[in-house]
Amino acid sequence: MSRALTADACVIGAGAGGAVLAAELAEGGMDVVLLEQGPAHDPDGFTARPVQMLGRLYREGGQTITLGDPPIALPLGRGLGGTTLVNSGTCFRTPPEVLDRWRAEFGLDVDERSMRPHFERVEQALSVAEVTPELAGENAAVARRAAEALGWSHGYLRRNAKGCVGSGVCAFGCPTSAKQHTGITYVPRARAAGARVLTGTGVRRVVVNGGQARGVEARAADGAALEVRAPLVAVAAGTVHTPALLARSGLGADSGQLGRNLSLHPATAAFALMDHDVDMARGVPQSFYIDEFAHEGILFEGAAGPPSYVAMALPMTGRRHQQVMAAYLRLAQFGLMVSDTSRGWLKFMRSRPVIRYDLDHGDLEKFRRGIARLGQLFEAAGAREVFLPLPAHVAPQRARRRDLKLMAFHPLGTARADARPTHGVVDGQLAVHGVRGAYVADGSAVPSALGVNPQLTIMALATRLAFHLLARR
Amino acid sequence: MVDPGLEELIMAGPAWQRPGKRLLLSLVRRPRGLALLKRFTPADQAGYALVAMAHYDDPEAAGPLGWDADAVAARGRELRRREGRP
Repeated sequence: MSRALTADACVIGAGAGGAVLAAELAEGGMDVVLLEQGPAHDPDGFTARPVQMLGRLYREGGQTITLGDPPIALPLGRGLGGTTLVNSGTCFRTPPEVLDRWRAEFGLDVDERSMRPHFERVEQALSVAEVTPELAGENAAVARRAAEALGWSHGYLRRNAKGCVGSGVCAFGCPTSAKQHTGITYVPRARAAGARVLTGTGVRRVVVNGGQARGVEARAADGAALEVRAPLVAVAAGTVHTPALLARSGLGADSGQLGRNLSLHPATAAFALMDHDVDMARGVPQSFYIDEFAHEGILFEGAAGPPSYVAMALPMTGRRHQQVMAAYLRLAQFGLMVSDTSRGWLKFMRSRPVIRYDLDHGDLEKFRRGIARLGQLFEAAGAREVFLPLPAHVAPQRARRRDLKLMAFHPLGTARADARPTHGVVDGQLAVHGVRGAYVADGSAVPSALGVNPQLTIMALATRLAFHLLARR
Repeated sequence: MVDPGLEELIMAGPAWQRPGKRLLLSLVRRPRGLALLKRFTPADQAGYALVAMAHYDDPEAAGPLGWDADAVAARGRELRRREGRP
């Protein structure tokens, strides 16, 4: 059996970019079909147990890993909400200097003033507000006291949460639905405005005829072939999967940039054993930042979680691991994220992503300095013992790439925007170069690392795209 | 015997990683296997991290450390119902 739908616009992916675009277009009067490969998750099934939730809420059970030196874990969300379902909820606007760089280097018509209304609109929709010290918990207080003692610039983070009680499991499904991920904000708005939202639907290709997008071919949740006929198609399958869909559709390859320019914001974290109870899972895991070294491309942000999360992340094994875990209540953790200059690429083998990313020397140096400063931070906090994310007896200054234990949460750039067709996959309005009616609305279009968490940037760019498309009707 | 939760997690992961993960788990659970892995720090840590994560996901191990996942989930359900959250 096959069936066909007709719409003004078909949006592929219900994460940070796609859900926002679908809702704004639908509310603007367009007939929208929103296709999501993953399921709609029922929060009643959120058990606050990481091992269970990793398998359910993440693509590949959260075990996507890059090949390269060093390998980097790259967990990606799956389902309505995409990665906004499982991120920490941290909201930064794109730094003005990054927008200036996009204008100068990539020819994009963006700046702080023109982007402001889009950021404000998203922030209002997601109830973005600064975390209170009480909600941030003792893990953040440890870092705050240390930052104050060291004179390092710091602050409480802004997050998209409403009525948060500090369950401590943002990355494993918010049990209170306090986190305002797009699956419970923009997707319901899209539905209320008449959009048809189909989950469990995998898109095979975007159909283009005569240089004009005509719709998509997909496989519905029941296995039936599905055709969506629409003169406007927006791909928002995420930085890792959007290039594959474009490639399958014969789109975006002319520039030679499709699947390239991958930045990740690689990250790591250190633990400290304190003399007092921290109980890090009590409070918002990522609630506090230190931006003293942001100009060097190093941003410190909070990290925390329940015992199983800590057990996975502690940089030791055996009896020592058991001893430290026995003192879980007195453990504190803080992370660092690097604004990377390294660039990777990705290819697909039988629809599985193969991601190659090697850390360049400049980024290795950032990690060496950043890890040393994490040690300094915890010493200033009065830690009894500090556990850096390095093998025993490796000093931060001498760390090699293979010594680093890295994760990354912010893949960007694999279908990057550039006004020149020879340099980018999409133009400044996120339209695929050389095709009418085909757009990219996710992190893959973001042309460079940001140095801050990207969800607000992706959402604001999707909002900007929606208003551009509605104005052209 | 692999913990059922861990087996579910491994099955959710990429197929090409599964044999390696199962091998790591079988080695990390045997003293001689662990000793062998210790020569290769990343493999040692990866295998141990999986086992440790599964162990501390168990309420019997997490409870004494102050973490009650069932209570956190129940509080979430109660709050959502009481306040009409999604």
